[in-house]
Amino acid sequence: MLSIKNLHASVDEKDIIRGLNLEVKPGEVHAIMGPNGAGKSTLGYVLSGREGYEVSQGEARFNGKDLMEMEVEERAREGMFLAFQYPVEIPGVSNMEFMKESVNAIREQRGEETLTAAEFLKKAKEACKQVQLPLDFLKRGVNEGFSGGEKKRNEIMQMILLEPSLCILDESDSGLDVDALQVVADGVNSQRDGKRSFIVVTHYQRLLDYIKPDFVHILAEGQIVKSGDASLALEVEKSGYAFLGKKYEGETA
Amino acid sequence: MSQWLAKVIDVAQENQDFLAPVRQQAISKLQQAGWPSQRAEQWRFTPLAPVKDRTFNQTQTDENVSVPEIAGLDSIDIIFTNGVLTTSLADLALPEGLRIVSFAQANAQQQADIKTMFGRVKPEAHVFGQVNDALSQHGVMIDVADNANISPVVRLINLTSADSDNHTRTLVKLGHNAKAKVMELGQGEHDSMNTAVAEYAIGDNASLEHYRFAFYTANAKAVGGSHFKLGEAAKLNSTVVGYGSQLSRLDIDIWHAAENAFAKLNAIYLLAEGELFDLHTCIEHAKPHGTSEENARGIIGDGARAVFNGRIHIHRDAQKTLAEMNNRNLLLSRRALVNTKPELEIYADDVKCAHGATVAEIEGNELFYLLSRGISRQRAMVMLNFGFIQELVNDIPSKAVASWLQPKLTERFAQMEVK
Repeated sequence: MLSIKNLHASVDEKDIIRGLNLEVKPGEVHAIMGPNGAGKSTLGYVLSGREGYEVSQGEARFNGKDLMEMEVEERAREGMFLAFQYPVEIPGVSNMEFMKESVNAIREQRGEETLTAAEFLKKAKEACKQVQLPLDFLKRGVNEGFSGGEKKRNEIMQMILLEPSLCILDESDSGLDVDALQVVADGVNSQRDGKRSFIVVTHYQRLLDYIKPDFVHILAEGQIVKSGDASLALEVEKSGYAFLGKKYEGETA
Repeated sequence: MSQWLAKVIDVAQENQDFLAPVRQQAISKLQQAGWPSQRAEQWRFTPLAPVKDRTFNQTQTDENVSVPEIAGLDSIDIIFTNGVLTTSLADLALPEGLRIVSFAQANAQQQADIKTMFGRVKPEAHVFGQVNDALSQHGVMIDVADNANISPVVRLINLTSADSDNHTRTLVKLGHNAKAKVMELGQGEHDSMNTAVAEYAIGDNASLEHYRFAFYTANAKAVGGSHFKLGEAAKLNSTVVGYGSQLSRLDIDIWHAAENAFAKLNAIYLLAEGELFDLHTCIEHAKPHGTSEENARGIIGDGARAVFNGRIHIHRDAQKTLAEMNNRNLLLSRRALVNTKPELEIYADDVKCAHGATVAEIEGNELFYLLSRGISRQRAMVMLNFGFIQELVNDIPSKAVASWLQPKLTERFAQMEVK
């Protein structure tokens, strides 16, 4: 599904990703952990095609297609979804209108009928309930005045509605209390169907108690330096990132 | 000289009513100044050719025009059809503290009141304001008593159903502590010329909720103005919406004539193919501790042209003034055009004044967020830009007005194809 080979990427001419390899097959959940500044968020942005993130070397293929040849919206329509660490507030554009537009753009790509306002409203209400957001959040401006936790839940609501094949969760646990974390994790777990794949980017092991990964990778200085199963995350939690070198001493996971 | 203006002067000189002396002054000014040159700063981007030699059409009434209804809005409607006052003011059930009289039916005392206010708020320099001074036989004076709180919205509705010349006038006086809501609404698509002028004197501590909707399209020509004078601690909350037509120009003047006044002006314009809309605003901060907040946002379709000129004048005495002005525009094609110009004159040293103007600039983070959800770049731009107009719609104090306006704007926007 996703195949990344020797990927190098930079932001403002600063190399952030330096030779990253990753293979994600349908249905797999990959956790990417790492200390601050490892390039975790950059990976999500590079894969989704954010402007300013330059790929200088290597390749990334999604469903066999060269990602770097695709526009941001094409990647999304192909089935990629990035849950943002800091979702942007867009006053004036209602959450409902935004999600309907988005869902219909993706349905059109798949050759499915677009949803009418009434059909969409029904689905949106269900998704809204699932992530335990009050229904009036559908009417509000996109993320406008939402708390940190509400923004994260709004991301998961979009994920549920868009039915992507690859979900990249960028620190979806940051800033959440245990209850909110549970809601987010339940939302994600409800979407695990054996075909949909996940890349769960996180600094802390905590999230992985809720979303069980098949693989855990440690990202440091733009490369995956260690891979293993879920037990690797527990190991990192116990001893921190010190094994990566002296400068990471004291950085917990 | 323009053929139209020559006829305007002829017609004006035939009319003799109690306002004749002040009308004569306006006529003299028009005769002296002649037709405005396109080089004149006021008309630099707005060609007056569509009006210059048009045929002057004496007003004719028409009973068969429909009045726009706003669901859930309690209103008192004053209707002008093709420039003729058609509402029988005597039949209106008015709340206590509100008086409305037409120029034609004013008694001696009322004529004196009208003369005291006529032309005293509107700046003299507006050429088409002078035309209105000269020709406004059909006008009303609205008087809100001290301490009165008038809850229905007084709607002044200018309807056009034929090629016509429409020069209506409204004078609104709010006493001390008074509260009122006034909506000016003009619409039409015929070859009409409309110069509707409204002058507002808002008394000390009084508060006005105001709307001006210039829904002129197609062949209609409209050059009108709303002019406000604010008393001490007076409050104005105004929402302006303009469509474009062959020529549509609106002048909004807000004069802080006493201390501590507050004015908010939100303006929206949506222009479809081939249309022109020109919004000139002028905020005169003449006294200290005044505040003004102005937001004008527009979307300009293929082959359309918008003009925004926002003037802020802070006089030497107007210390501690807070003045903010912002204008944002989205051009939907390469053939769409906007001329936007802030004009600041500041003579006081202890003031805060901020202004900004942007053209089709979308925040990168917002755009990326929408794109990352599969929405096309073109559609995302439209959503984000309609979004900033939506913010102004959401800011409208009357829910009924906002709910009525919303689908109208969406519908108009839908006609403005992105190219």
